[in-house]
Amino acid sequence: MKKESRTGSVSRRSLLQAGAGALSAAAFPMPAIAQTKPFAGVTLRGASFQHRFFTLLQNYIPEFEAQSGMKVDLQLSAFPVYNQQANLELSSGGSAFDFVNVTFILAARWVAAGLLANLDEFTSDPNLTPSDWNPKDFVEGAQVPYRDAKGATYGYSWEGGAMVMGVSRMDLMEKKGLKIPKTFAELQQVSAEINGTDGVNGLVGFQLHHWCLPPYIQGFGGNIFKNPPADIMPALNTPEAIQAVEYYANLLKNYAPRGVLTYTEDQARQSLLTGRSNIFIHSSSWITPTLLSDESKVKDTARVVRMPAGPVHDFPAANSQGLGIPKNAKNKKAAWEFIKWAVSPEISMRLVKEHGHSSVCRRSVIESEAYRKLNTVNGQDLGALYLEVLGLPAKGENYMAYRTVKEFPIVGDVLNKAFEQVATGQATAAVAMNAAQEQAVANMRRAGTAL
Amino acid sequence: MTGRGLIDAERRRFNAFALAPSLIVLFLIAGLPAIYLLVTSLTPFQLVNPGSATDFSSPLRNYRLLPGDPRFVNSLLVQAKLSFWGVLFQVLLGMLLALLLHTQSRVVEFARTFFLIPMVLPPIVVAVIWKLIYTPDISPIYYAASLLNFTMPALTSSVDFALTAIIIADTWEWMPFTFLMVLAALQTIPEEFSEAALVDGANRLQIFFYITLPFITPILVISAMFRLIDSVKAFPLVFLLTGGGPGSVTEVTNYYAYLLAFDFNEIGYSSAVTVVLLLLVVAVSFGVVWMGRRREAMA
Repeated sequence: MKKESRTGSVSRRSLLQAGAGALSAAAFPMPAIAQTKPFAGVTLRGASFQHRFFTLLQNYIPEFEAQSGMKVDLQLSAFPVYNQQANLELSSGGSAFDFVNVTFILAARWVAAGLLANLDEFTSDPNLTPSDWNPKDFVEGAQVPYRDAKGATYGYSWEGGAMVMGVSRMDLMEKKGLKIPKTFAELQQVSAEINGTDGVNGLVGFQLHHWCLPPYIQGFGGNIFKNPPADIMPALNTPEAIQAVEYYANLLKNYAPRGVLTYTEDQARQSLLTGRSNIFIHSSSWITPTLLSDESKVKDTARVVRMPAGPVHDFPAANSQGLGIPKNAKNKKAAWEFIKWAVSPEISMRLVKEHGHSSVCRRSVIESEAYRKLNTVNGQDLGALYLEVLGLPAKGENYMAYRTVKEFPIVGDVLNKAFEQVATGQATAAVAMNAAQEQAVANMRRAGTAL
Repeated sequence: MTGRGLIDAERRRFNAFALAPSLIVLFLIAGLPAIYLLVTSLTPFQLVNPGSATDFSSPLRNYRLLPGDPRFVNSLLVQAKLSFWGVLFQVLLGMLLALLLHTQSRVVEFARTFFLIPMVLPPIVVAVIWKLIYTPDISPIYYAASLLNFTMPALTSSVDFALTAIIIADTWEWMPFTFLMVLAALQTIPEEFSEAALVDGANRLQIFFYITLPFITPILVISAMFRLIDSVKAFPLVFLLTGGGPGSVTEVTNYYAYLLAFDFNEIGYSSAVTVVLLLLVVAVSFGVVWMGRRREAMA
């Protein structure tokens, strides 16, 4: 009897405890990570370039380590240093890293060369990935670079870059009766009118011309390759490309700060945030601080909108950065646990809420009420704009395909050189782009590309 | 074999035995990488195509492509311009400075130490210093010019000034080397020569041209040769200040080789570019050795 009674009371207590546990688990869900610790004791080695995302993520990594029993050794280097190191490591079949950043401009090369593990093998296994992790929740446009021709996925995006236009001195524009430019012609006109007024430059750019220039080439009806990825014959000397180079070179020559050709992204961002330049067209994470950052001196007079359209359309660039697993990594399953956690909806939402880091790639987060509230400033819904631009390449023709072609770095470098020649008056647009076409074809053939 | 011959053979064996460790280490740290570079230059090796590392089907392909590569040819010209002007200014200014500071005084001794600072700074720090000087937004020079209502061009993105900007920075960094060498040479000139010349009625200019200059000429030549070899390493300045631009105005050969290897993954072709550069540097090095021997013979 005593025994029964004790059994009965323990059972009730257990039930109560279990109920309380279930309730608290429902109220405070843990990020998608197994509650057991099958990888306890594993040291995960990962690498990426320095980025705010990882700086913030490092605050949460101790939580992941406590939950999983793993140690995370994350090596962060400068962008070019990381790219070179990872390129060498992956190409030589190394196993030094368990997870790596799949840099956008190298993604096609790495995926095509089979240097990364197929992540579909992890997402399709319910033992490794719970259904609520939902790989389809990632913004489609951000995932395109990490897929091969058959549609297999080799990376999941942690950062989306959607090209938008920042206007810092709307007050000056209004004084002059100018509206936000919606076409290339209007962009030129506004830049000309504002340049020199109150010591403000018409617009600013930075030295990565093969990122800033293609939207103009496409806006005039051209492209970098004839029909990427199917036909990768460079198309640098088409009348449209020549016209675009001339147009953009004139913008920078006439209305940008001195030395703009060697400006870094940071310099350009500072120029916009301090109101020294009126317009800057670049990825949203560089532009939205005009409205969101405490550093901004132009919060009240700034606008963030879609970039102007050319005679054909607007083609704002979009890109992303992803996390992947090297093909020869030693701890693939453990690395997948980390990736799953790092780009989980929970961590993405915490980055948005706790740090205002809005360039995440989880659609469910971007479309949430909390995200909208935090990213609506002066009546401008930055989240909607971000999502709209990031999703554009996945709608209809993928106009960003040129950048996912593995030969793009070769052609991009030639384009950079040609543009600088035009912008500094060393050659006319036609001469520079004809030479660039010849050089691009020769360089691609030398590198073994059959054209 | 005579006793003398046996002793000579024994001595040669001992010399070889004593030298062997150094030669083995030298071979491991300098010879092997150079051989690997040469072997790689005979392949179309690309990082993303590992099989290409052992493809010797057309070993001279890279070398045949080089003369037709306008960027490579241009990079050699840019390198030649940078080396010529850089070395010229470093030697001239270093010599002038040494002549100015070749006196006994506490202030001058302090100044000598002060002038050596640029040479001992890490190259990347030198590049950062000049990046700050050349950036119109933050440079004190541009600020001063604006106070005088004078508009200065952006030096590092100007076709006319970009290479000059690098030459100025390179000269600032390495002029102390020539300064130090010439100062050491000046201190070895016996004072009796100058005093005798003064007694004979020679003026300062004549003393310089007929006594000082002949004494320091071998040092100037050796310094110039060393700086010529070293000028090929102006990589951090180019990388940080101009990125080889605008266009290819400041793209020197080692920067082009770097782009080929790490941006385009063309390790084989980049190795061929580097081998050509290496041969040029080796030729200059032989010149230095030859001059050194000639000087010894003349002494």
